[in-house]
Amino acid sequence: MATSSTDVPIGPSTPAQENPSAHLTVDDRVGLLRAMLLMRAIEERAMNLYRQGKVPGSFYDGFGQEAVSVGATWAMGAADRLCVLHRDLGAHLVRGVQPATILSQYMGREAGITSGRDGNVHFGDYRTGCVGMVSMLPDMMLVAAGMAMAFKLRKEQRCALTWFGDGSTSRGDFHEAMNWAGVQHLPVIFVLENNQFAYSTPIKQQFAVNPVERAAAYGFPGVSVDGNDAEAMFEATRIARERAISGGGPTLIEAVTMRMHGHGAHDDMKYVPKALVEEWRQKDPIDRQSARLKELGVDVETLVKEVRAEVDAAAKMALAGPMPDPVTATDRVFHPRDAEEILLEDGAAPWSGFGS
Amino acid sequence: MSEMTYLRAISDGLRTEMRDDERVLLMGEDIGVYGGAFKVTDGFIEEFGADRVMDTPLAESGIVGTAVGAAVVGLRPVCEMQFADFVSCGFDQIINVAGKMLYRQGLPVNITVRLPSGGGFSGGPFHSQNPEAWFMHSPGLKVVAPSTAEDAKGLIIASIRDPNPVIYMEHKNLYRRVKGEVPEGSYETPFTARVAREGDDLVVITYGAMVHTALEATADLDGASIMVLDLRSLVPLDEEAILGAVHHCSKVVVVDEANYTCAAGAQVSALIAERGFEDLDGPVLRVASPDVPIPFSPPLEAAVLPSVERVREACRQLLEY
Amino acid sequence: MPQMGVSVAEGTLVEWRKQRGDWVEADETICEISTDKIDTEVPSPASGRLIEVLVQVGVTVDVGTTLARIATDARPGEPHRSENDPPAAPPVAALATPPAASADDGPPAPAAAPAARGSAARRYSPVVQRIADEHNVDLDEVEGTGRDGRVQKKDVLSHVQARGGGRAPAPAQATEPTMHIESPYRPGAGAPSSGPYVAPEGRPLSRMRQSIGEHMKRSQETAATCTTWIEVDVSRIEIARRQLGITALPLIARCTIGALVEHPLLNAWLEGETHTVHEQVNLGIAVALGEDGLIVPVVRGAQDLSPEGLSRRIRDLARRARARQLSPDDVRGATFTITNPGQFGSMMATPVISQPQVAILDVEAIIKRPVVVTDTFGEDAIAIRPMVILGLSWDHRALDGAQAARFLATLKKRVESYEA
Repeated sequence: MATSSTDVPIGPSTPAQENPSAHLTVDDRVGLLRAMLLMRAIEERAMNLYRQGKVPGSFYDGFGQEAVSVGATWAMGAADRLCVLHRDLGAHLVRGVQPATILSQYMGREAGITSGRDGNVHFGDYRTGCVGMVSMLPDMMLVAAGMAMAFKLRKEQRCALTWFGDGSTSRGDFHEAMNWAGVQHLPVIFVLENNQFAYSTPIKQQFAVNPVERAAAYGFPGVSVDGNDAEAMFEATRIARERAISGGGPTLIEAVTMRMHGHGAHDDMKYVPKALVEEWRQKDPIDRQSARLKELGVDVETLVKEVRAEVDAAAKMALAGPMPDPVTATDRVFHPRDAEEILLEDGAAPWSGFGS
Repeated sequence: MSEMTYLRAISDGLRTEMRDDERVLLMGEDIGVYGGAFKVTDGFIEEFGADRVMDTPLAESGIVGTAVGAAVVGLRPVCEMQFADFVSCGFDQIINVAGKMLYRQGLPVNITVRLPSGGGFSGGPFHSQNPEAWFMHSPGLKVVAPSTAEDAKGLIIASIRDPNPVIYMEHKNLYRRVKGEVPEGSYETPFTARVAREGDDLVVITYGAMVHTALEATADLDGASIMVLDLRSLVPLDEEAILGAVHHCSKVVVVDEANYTCAAGAQVSALIAERGFEDLDGPVLRVASPDVPIPFSPPLEAAVLPSVERVREACRQLLEY
Repeated sequence: MPQMGVSVAEGTLVEWRKQRGDWVEADETICEISTDKIDTEVPSPASGRLIEVLVQVGVTVDVGTTLARIATDARPGEPHRSENDPPAAPPVAALATPPAASADDGPPAPAAAPAARGSAARRYSPVVQRIADEHNVDLDEVEGTGRDGRVQKKDVLSHVQARGGGRAPAPAQATEPTMHIESPYRPGAGAPSSGPYVAPEGRPLSRMRQSIGEHMKRSQETAATCTTWIEVDVSRIEIARRQLGITALPLIARCTIGALVEHPLLNAWLEGETHTVHEQVNLGIAVALGEDGLIVPVVRGAQDLSPEGLSRRIRDLARRARARQLSPDDVRGATFTITNPGQFGSMMATPVISQPQVAILDVEAIIKRPVVVTDTFGEDAIAIRPMVILGLSWDHRALDGAQAARFLATLKKRVESYEA
């Protein structure tokens, strides 16, 4: 059972299993670990760069929550579309964004996805089918619902997925999106990333009834999943996607996890009991996946070294890149009428179930 | 060419574009079966079906947010806010999601948001506002405001085809009051100003319903020759047309139906102060609603909204100056 | 501020009963003041319109200070008792000392002279002032038909037309704003200038200038001159010259000579169809002789000289050149020339080739600049380095661009890797 810092019942959680999904090959399982390792290594490097004064503004990471984005994205098809939250770097990595591009993004460099116009994980590479979040959470629930609405109107077998945090469930857009998706029976997957704290506010001050239970009130299922298990996240998302593209409507997935770092790099997280952090450290998603793969005889140490080398090279490349030219600051406010139409494009979909 | 009301011209533009482009989708509250609070989409559901003339839940943020999502995967949604006033409930999605998407991540958001605006019929504080300046102040949004039937059709078509978010201000008080010859078929009105009447001694710069107020106020003003410039587009603002009119006339009255502070006319006045100073033969005078909510009771509302008399008085003062 | 007692020197404004723009009758209370003797109301000295309040409430001023101005002319349609005002410019009554003036609506007080252009009483709008300037109009002569006799654009335009002097622009037809490059200047319309310009008497050029002129002109007519530049890091030259106690020129000359040996096609003459490539480098060094001109003495057999040797020879030649002690042999037979104007801080030039040579090197000022450098590990960094731009003018009849560029590349390499 997942543990929470509140006395609010957090709904059913899948018990830890050895093989939560029967739909993953060994290559898939290694791929999940590799993406999580990459996410952690990039964010650790970014935190160092932040401390060295190379990352402007603040910095936000998803340490300890890697399984949520990596596992869910692994189940998504190339033509599916995603709206990604700031703790979900793994989604971008699985969809094919390069580590050097991400580090450039953090440092406000020209080579970042937004060419220095936005920071942190506030980005989406439209070439991978992703839309970046805005800070007003959960605005992207509506955007994802709109994508799903278009798919449904055009009778396409595709779905949209978005992540949002526990704090987001208090805002009106959560209700508007849940209701809209329920009314129109949309092929959309809502992943509630319950990491126990919205900045410093614990979930017991956020809601009286766990939001996963609200799904029923909007007319579709809500499931609670161990958010620190990439394979469990994959399996829940795979099922939700199956439902979506076969006309079964939306699903709310609560990924129960824990924010292991402060809200941002500036936050020392004094308001979180140390024992709680310690308890969750034992459930580290990377440790868990590594242990599984070692059982299968996979050389995890070599994998770790490869990922480190990849991030070293990426950091070197990002640091060598220029800052944006100040004259571009006022460019691209409007898209020219005669310019080519730009829409979201397909991203990488590495799951073996898609035949890749 | 056929004569039709401003309201029918909007309908005609929407229908024309929906027939030409199957990506176009209308979304709003009560626009389908009921045909819209103002009947702009009357009969549409029969022709285009409930999928493309979508009766949505009562959720303005939801309307705009889902429209953004549909747009980035290839549809061209046209959202109706039942009253312009209700757009405040969808404000965040317009400003933070739609307006900034292209600048941040290179992804254009082709949506049109129709805002039935303006007062003059005892709509009260929640059905009478002219909120266009909110959007002028937010980067990444275009804002247009037709005053004639011909432009109402041409601008709705141009707004739908423009790849950016466009806020389309349609003035409720013009819906059935204004009629005009409207070309058949598809055409676009450019996002530039239009000289509604030529003149030499003074120019009234305005847009939307106030174009008609200005024309009436200055039709016969002690024999003076008065130009009326209809801005039509507020973003982009046709700066050259404004400065050209100022150079020509040297005396300027700027009229907004909106509340005075930071209205579109304030931007026009600032532009003239910055770039038209050498051409001025008197202060730039402004006529606008005072900074109060638009009241309900007819004498109160009449006291607030700029009237033909107030515009005429401002012109007289400036002509004498 | 009226004198309210013999010993009173100052007073404080307590309240204005009339505001700017208000009509005030003679003797009507216009404000209240307070002094150390008395608090009192101040009556208006004349009837008219209060056009300017000069002292604000709470401010203490000396007796005699003007407190306000009252325009005593009539505004059409306004009740106004004063009938004796001159018509053109509105007279102004000042509310001030002496207090004896208070009830007197006769001639205005000294401070109340008719308003001049730009005064509070007669202001002109930007467009009126612009038109007046363009047409040289004295605005005091223009009758105003605006509020309070204000001059409007149409007034100044009809004045210009009535005068018939200027070509009044037809504003009704003008559609384009004034462009930046359009000047109000109109040929022939301006005032006469202060007097004819008297040019100083001319003198013939010196023989040296004539000779230089002929030589340069002939070169330009003869050679197909092109110029190629390269930017060079002279850090090592700077170190070496400090070690050797010499200037940078002989060190750069030494590198140039080395490059010429590698690229002998530039150490050559072209005379008509005859192209002569020299083995020996006879290096011409341009020496400025103040206002008289310059001379190019030659270091013969320069390929055999060390930098110190070059330095000595250059110094010797320069000294003798300035002392007019050069022999004809000292200035003959150069195979390549270096000119060094950079000593005066210039950055770039296109030197003229000294005939019949085929190239000349121009050494400009050494300037510290931020440059991107790559260290031995391949890491880039920005460093401050002394840099110089070297320009090579070369004769396209004898050489091609690639040869010139290769020569400069060799020279750059030699300079940047210079070892003393």
